[in-house]
Amino acid sequence: MATSDKLIQVKNLKKYYNKGALHALDDVSVDINRGDVMVVIGPSGSGKSTLLRSLNLLEVPTDGEIIFHGIDITKKTFTNKEGKTEKVNINLHRQKMGMVFQHFNLFPHKTILDNMTLAPIKVLGMDQKEAEEKAMALLKRVGLEDRAGAYPIQLSGGQKQRIAIVRALMMEPEVMLFDEPTSALDPEMVGEVLEVMKELARDGMTMVVVTHEMGFAREVGNRVLFMADGQLLEQGTPEEIFSTPKHHRLQDFLAKVL
Amino acid sequence: MLSAKGFEAAFSYIQLFGEGLITTVTLSALTVIFGFMLALVLALMRMSNFRPLHFLDKPGCGRVVKVLSKFNPISLVANIYVEVFRATPLLVQLFIVYYILLAGVSLPAFKLFGIIRFERMIPGVIALSLNSGAYLSEIIRSGIQSIDGGQTEAARSLGMTQWHTMQYIVLPQAIKNILPAIANEFVTIIKESSICWTIGVQEVMFAVNSIKSATYFIGEPLIIAACVYFCLTFPTSKIIAYFERRMSRGDKR
Repeated sequence: MATSDKLIQVKNLKKYYNKGALHALDDVSVDINRGDVMVVIGPSGSGKSTLLRSLNLLEVPTDGEIIFHGIDITKKTFTNKEGKTEKVNINLHRQKMGMVFQHFNLFPHKTILDNMTLAPIKVLGMDQKEAEEKAMALLKRVGLEDRAGAYPIQLSGGQKQRIAIVRALMMEPEVMLFDEPTSALDPEMVGEVLEVMKELARDGMTMVVVTHEMGFAREVGNRVLFMADGQLLEQGTPEEIFSTPKHHRLQDFLAKVL
Repeated sequence: MLSAKGFEAAFSYIQLFGEGLITTVTLSALTVIFGFMLALVLALMRMSNFRPLHFLDKPGCGRVVKVLSKFNPISLVANIYVEVFRATPLLVQLFIVYYILLAGVSLPAFKLFGIIRFERMIPGVIALSLNSGAYLSEIIRSGIQSIDGGQTEAARSLGMTQWHTMQYIVLPQAIKNILPAIANEFVTIIKESSICWTIGVQEVMFAVNSIKSATYFIGEPLIIAACVYFCLTFPTSKIIAYFERRMSRGDKR
């Protein structure tokens, strides 16, 4: 595969806690290609959320590299094309990586519309009218245009998560990171959120999804990573992972969840 | 004992109360403004993660080095400040500011609004602000820390800077949560400003003492002063309660 297809390269990523007593990430390397829908599975405490949160540096890795747009964003500086040393501006990179959290993290003191338009207006300098039109179009896409003036507390969990997704999309990210997006939802609301995610995948959005929804991994993912104890133990197509698992930890895990 | 004659005598000096009221309000308002700004700075200082020696922290380093690596001078300075100002009497602080800190400083002597002696009020404002800043900073810090970390993460993941996150996401929610505590502190400032009569600020308590000297009545002017203070503090807490209701729109279903 050509290098230009690689959107994010993770090289030998390590995250230690307690002076190295706990290895949340133990030498993980993986390439995320443009258009990938990469699903990360594994038992709890396996480091899958830590890996995801490291990608936009919400978690600062102990060691290793994350190359995004040719820049190692884990370092403080990089050398630009003219050979000069420049500061890495993490805010710039985060704009291009949308993130959806397990607990939605909508801003409770702002209306749905304000939740969506705040970052585009303040960060990208978009004018308010343009931002609002864009927000309304996105709300329509997820069937929530009538809730624009509501506050987050007035919405159901499924609605909140759909808003969280379109809020991230307002920034037109190149990749969307999902951190267990359906784990905090009542079972009957999981479907509506997965439906929005499937549609995103169909539109060609690059996605990294940490989830316990094996059905989603199988149906929508084109690559599945299996992690345990901070290590990336196995990766492959959904077919390979679910039908012919090789590592005994993966076989154990699948036996429990399927 | 109170007497009608005493009230009559006290009311004949009502102008002094009027001037005292204006002085008290000005003194408190300036204290609130400067105290709050100081408190915000102190709160942010206490929460800073500036650790100039963090590079010392390596796996396998000793305990002393570990403690040293966590050394945060900015937070330490703010910490000491808050502890000192909360552990000493306001009257002592006021006298230190007036008799020591500003002893060699000759402030311009003129009358603000034609009644307030500027050179006397400034030491009062400084002492009260320094004191209330220490208390308010603790309130603000607890408010900021009560906001779920997910809020910051969400804002940062959208590419917002640390300062924008503070300004648009964390502080508005934090201030809403701590509004009752802030109201308390504002009311306290109004009441504690009465201590400034000891350095010659002509506020409400100063009026009481002037009237006492002139008429030999003390109970009646004190009752009037109590009413004046109540008329200031009661509306203040009511106004803040109104803003509290307005800001809690996001809480209602």
